Amino acid sequence: MIVCVAVVGHQNNPLYIQSFTEADDALKLHHIVHCSLDVVDERVNNPKKSGPMLNETFLGLLYPTDNYKVYGYLTNTKVKFILVTTDLDVRDADVRNFFRKFHTAYVDAVSNPFHVPGKKITSRIFAERVSTIVKSFGLNSAG
Amino acid sequence: MDPAKTPLGQMLLDEITPVVMVLSTPLVEEACFKNGFSFLQMLTPFCSFHNIDVPVRTASDQPYRLQKFKLRLFYASDVRKPDLEVAKEHLKQVITEAGEKELSELSLDAPEISHVLESSESGNTPSWLQFFNKELIRVVSFSDHEAFDHPVACLLAVSSKDEQPINRFVDLFNTNKLPSLLNDGVMDPKILKHYLLVHDNQDGPVDRATKILAEMRGTFGTSDCALLCMNSSSDSPVKHEDNPWASYNSNVSPGQDLGCFLNIDDVNEIKDLMQDLSSKHIIPSMEQKIRVLNQQVSATRKGFRNQIKNLWWRKGKEDGVDSINGPMYTFSSTESQIRVLGDYAFMLRDYELALSNYRLISTDYKLDKAWKRYAAVQEMMGLAYFMSDQSRKEAEYCMENAFNTYLKLGSSGQQNATRCGLWWVEMLKTRDQYKEAAPVYFRICGEDILHSAVMLEQASYCYLMSKPSMLRKFGFHLVLSGDRYNKCDQVKHAIRTYRSVLSVFKGTTWSYIKDHVHFHIGQWYASLGMCDVAVKHMLEILACGHQSKKTQELFLGDFLQIVQKTGRTFEVSKLQLPVINISSLKVIFEDHRTFGSLSAANTKEGLWHSLEEEMLPSFSAAKTNWLELQSKLISKNYRDSNVCVEGEAVKVNIEFSNPLQISIPVSGVTLICKHSPSTSEVTSGTKNDIDGKCEELTTSRDLSSDNSSFLVSEVDFLLGGGETTMVQLSVTPRDEGTLEILGVRWKLSGTIVGFHNFEFSHVKKNTAKGRRKGKRSPNENFKFLVTKSIPKLQGSIHPFPEKTYAGDLRHLVLELRNSSEIPVKNLKMKISHPRFLNIGSPENIKSEFPSCLMKIDSVPSGANANPSNMSDTVFLFPEGTSVQGVTPFSWPLWFRAAVPGDISLYISIYYEMGDISSVIRYRTLRLQYNLQVLPSLDVSFQISPSPLRLREFLVRMDVVNKTASESFQVNQLSSIGSDWEISLLQPPETIFPSLSLMAGQAISCFLTLKNCRRILTFEDTGSSISMPIRSDIKLVPQGSEDPVYNMSSEPLVNFHHYERQQQEFSHEPLGDLNTVDFVLISRPLQSDTNASFSDPPHVMSHHACHCSTASTGPISWLVDGPRTLHHDFSASFCEINLKMHLYNSSGATAFVRINTLDYTVTGGQLNPLSVVQSVTPSDNQAGWHDITPVNEVKVTSNVTGSQPGKSLSLGSVSPYIWSGSSSTNVHLEPMSSAQIPLQICVFSPGIYDLSNYVLHWNLLPEDRGGQDETRQPSGKCLGYTYYLTVLQST
Repeated sequence: MIVCVAVVGHQNNPLYIQSFTEADDALKLHHIVHCSLDVVDERVNNPKKSGPMLNETFLGLLYPTDNYKVYGYLTNTKVKFILVTTDLDVRDADVRNFFRKFHTAYVDAVSNPFHVPGKKITSRIFAERVSTIVKSFGLNSAG
Repeated sequence: MDPAKTPLGQMLLDEITPVVMVLSTPLVEEACFKNGFSFLQMLTPFCSFHNIDVPVRTASDQPYRLQKFKLRLFYASDVRKPDLEVAKEHLKQVITEAGEKELSELSLDAPEISHVLESSESGNTPSWLQFFNKELIRVVSFSDHEAFDHPVACLLAVSSKDEQPINRFVDLFNTNKLPSLLNDGVMDPKILKHYLLVHDNQDGPVDRATKILAEMRGTFGTSDCALLCMNSSSDSPVKHEDNPWASYNSNVSPGQDLGCFLNIDDVNEIKDLMQDLSSKHIIPSMEQKIRVLNQQVSATRKGFRNQIKNLWWRKGKEDGVDSINGPMYTFSSTESQIRVLGDYAFMLRDYELALSNYRLISTDYKLDKAWKRYAAVQEMMGLAYFMSDQSRKEAEYCMENAFNTYLKLGSSGQQNATRCGLWWVEMLKTRDQYKEAAPVYFRICGEDILHSAVMLEQASYCYLMSKPSMLRKFGFHLVLSGDRYNKCDQVKHAIRTYRSVLSVFKGTTWSYIKDHVHFHIGQWYASLGMCDVAVKHMLEILACGHQSKKTQELFLGDFLQIVQKTGRTFEVSKLQLPVINISSLKVIFEDHRTFGSLSAANTKEGLWHSLEEEMLPSFSAAKTNWLELQSKLISKNYRDSNVCVEGEAVKVNIEFSNPLQISIPVSGVTLICKHSPSTSEVTSGTKNDIDGKCEELTTSRDLSSDNSSFLVSEVDFLLGGGETTMVQLSVTPRDEGTLEILGVRWKLSGTIVGFHNFEFSHVKKNTAKGRRKGKRSPNENFKFLVTKSIPKLQGSIHPFPEKTYAGDLRHLVLELRNSSEIPVKNLKMKISHPRFLNIGSPENIKSEFPSCLMKIDSVPSGANANPSNMSDTVFLFPEGTSVQGVTPFSWPLWFRAAVPGDISLYISIYYEMGDISSVIRYRTLRLQYNLQVLPSLDVSFQISPSPLRLREFLVRMDVVNKTASESFQVNQLSSIGSDWEISLLQPPETIFPSLSLMAGQAISCFLTLKNCRRILTFEDTGSSISMPIRSDIKLVPQGSEDPVYNMSSEPLVNFHHYERQQQEFSHEPLGDLNTVDFVLISRPLQSDTNASFSDPPHVMSHHACHCSTASTGPISWLVDGPRTLHHDFSASFCEINLKMHLYNSSGATAFVRINTLDYTVTGGQLNPLSVVQSVTPSDNQAGWHDITPVNEVKVTSNVTGSQPGKSLSLGSVSPYIWSGSSSTNVHLEPMSSAQIPLQICVFSPGIYDLSNYVLHWNLLPEDRGGQDETRQPSGKCLGYTYYLTVLQST
């Protein structure tokens, strides 16, 4: 199950953080997302491979904590997408697929002329889309 | 890098050193206590040697020299495993003490992150952490499976005062009192013993001691005995420069002088003793032991045979007891011996030897499943690898292996794991692998929350120091650590860690985390009673609009509670709650400009400025009078300040908004002002007495509101969740001087006072000379010059409608009041929209509305009003008008809603002071009214010339009721001026069957319009017509009581004037005499739905101006002649005389030339075919016949007619011929008519269209300015159809 998704701007400022849990753990998830930025930075600054991996947006598993797995994705505009999940065996393809959809939704949201770049995404439609994507992710991995 | 110089190397050299067990008699201790320490403490400083320079030869034949060496001294009672609980308690105390120490720095501000980075680079992590780590490692000392803590020697000390010292020595090494390590067979009880006789010089001469020493030497051997004389300085206490004991004794009170009875000789003696002990006894004995053990080990274990044997033997033991610690190994077992050999070699820094032995033993322990021992050996292997600077990978692998093995043991291995982890971390740190070190710290965290807090904190520093530094993980681990500290009631540590976190999040937008951190710091400070700091942190989280409502309530509640706890009122600059929208700040003050309402004050200055331009004294005059005065009155500093009047409030509009979801009470919102009185001379003096000297007594007074020099208003309000309120604050100066508005203050929830200083960062200097610039610049300047009280007019217009229908005509009254005693005079007034508002004459004030509009027969119409003087100029109230005292001054106004829409009317009234001794000599009162005008009737006219008469027109009037619900009664239609006469074609009853126009209804009615202007003809120029003409028609049935409205009554004619002016722009030519203006008067019917609107009698007027009558040009003409004619064509052709009436309706003289053409120029003449058709049937000869078929034919012929010359060649002659002159020139005076005779000849019967002529006209240019340019100077008109029927007469 996806616990949290986040969009973080290129100055590492949070643009959108949404948790999908019942519990009141927003603070914890904020911390996890915030910490994972360090790993993103690390990945970006020391790319392990060059060549075909150069333009890879998917950063893979950022770091496993006790209960969560954190995945990252970096767009060309240095906007980061972070996914926190409780599923311990997640297929990479699923995550890639999720990020692709998420990226599309994000692009649509920021293409809105009323969206101020660098400000938090407040679009309701974006939130709805994200929650459907998150739900479908759960279904895919279950089936 | 030399491993020994690294922190880990230092630590190992300190910690893994030979242990000397100390046994002493109470008398020895007594002697030492005189100096403030125990025997052991006395010796400790001299146990570490930096330059001992001892040659060592271990297993190999090659000797090497030791430079640094250290002994660890322990009392025999301490040589045992520390009690876990006691150790824990001790560690806790260490932490608490550190916390106390840190507290002093706590009140400082949170460090900048760059600062933190810098300090971390210099290794400046909290120093107590190192100390704590050392203590933590000591928890596992003296374990039975590690040999380096086992004492290598025993120091027995007996005082010379002791009776039978020799026996005392023997007693001391009594097995009952020895530590369990020696007793239960873990280590060899036969250890090196050193006998020390301690002699206190204060007790007497040293003779007895030497005697005893000799006796000792006899008993224990010469080399193992020594004498130590101490306390030699009996008289004066010795002050030691850099006291060697101070750094070893932490819990010493500052007044105590350690070692005060030991003189230099004593100290040197102790030094020598220890050096002797280590270099001549301990090290040689260790060498000896190493060599012995090495031989044994080689004999039993080295070599292929031994290895096979060993393997086989271990295999056989496999099904033995499988306890956690594996089998018990005594000191005599080979395993223990190897371990001891390894440890001794390690301590003597023969790491190669140590390593080989550790390797040997580790496989054995592994096979024996003695995991704890195995782990310990692995650990030592790692360290040995490290110290010998061999393979790093191996070292780390060993450490990890050891660590994991310890962890597998569960709780019993926990402490060892911790130690191992710490060493491992140090090893990683040494190699700058901070990033790898951090997770190890994280893994060290055991069940003990306090320890894990410390470990997490250290982990965070590792993240900070890793390259590049991982600040976010640093922050996160600090938060985790702080949380754990807090759980263990180590609040001070918690605060410290959280405060470091702040530096990470400073300036970021991770508000959730930021809020959490600030909130907890605040709470913890409050729990420590440091409420001031707590409040400071809590202030940061007040504007937490992003948090949930519950959290907001919690934050605010806690905050207020803490503030209350402090028991005093805080004054907080830039309190975040409520949020002040500083851009909304607006200062409204009245100098020479006064405002009737708030909306008037909000209007742009430029608008008022343009309105008042004509009214105010001219620029230069204002400059010399006003500014000159001003410049002398006030010092240069205040030249730029604004002027306000004593007793009149300066208002400040400011917006407060609440970012939270909960409502917050805000009370006591006031302005912070400063008033400084200036010398009284300033305002009392007349214009002449000023000598340019002016002292400013800028004594800033108390800012409280009970200051007598000004009054400030106080506003309380409750801001609901997410609300925004505009608040108007005011300050009323009561004394002359200078008033400065500094800021605004308010009280939140009755507990905390916030204030916000208006910043002057963008003050525009008001450099405009003489006159004030726009309103903006003074707005940003919050300094005011307060002048003496002067009168201020207040005005209102009543009853002013807020909502009305277009065309509504009303009678209003302007009322002016002057509350002061000083009269004002020279009143002038200007209105922005004279189309809407008109100034009446004083007699109107009593007249009744709307009857004053009625035409009264006795009064000659058109006499009293002269619209020409109603230009846009200023209205001057009559001479001598002055307003004073309680009685208001009234003046009538006429109002007419001219066009639909939202309209703002601006009225400015100028007045001068009766008593001119003030800086301000005149003032203006600015009134602004907004009104909404709804569309009502839409009237349009269409005029076409009448075909029958030359100067008559047919008019169609369309009236549409555009309202939603109102119905109107259309009363009267009037044409304006005396030139036009109108009459209805139908009786009004047929037009308005229901007598009214319902909502949405449209009607049309037809009228004739006749131009009655005097005509100049060639024939009779002298005759004049002065008949009264009917320019008004009533559209209500005859006999109804409604009187006729007088179009020339004052308001109507004035409004019509403006209406004309307005509509001029949308219509083309100015001054065209061929236009007519109509005024439609209607009245709303009394309806129940909208009683308020139709309650007073209303009249509505709709003006349609410049309805043009001339459609073709300035010249109109009419061909007059017979229409039907009988003629006997058998006799002759027929000659017909016609007359053309020409009329010049323009204001210029016109030349007209009429050209008759015998050939057709365009289509429109009759088709010859139709002529034949219409003529040939004989039965149709009897007069009139239907012309329609001809028309139909004509329609078809139009197709050909549009291509002139195709169907008609020039050769084809038209059926009739113009006889007479083919071209006639006429000179037409303006407004005159002329007649021209025309003649045609017809040769056969038929119907003829006499349009075969062209009229050229040419207007003489006039000296009328630029308007003529737009007009056609000349033109050409084709003749219009005139059908003539000629019949064969019988």
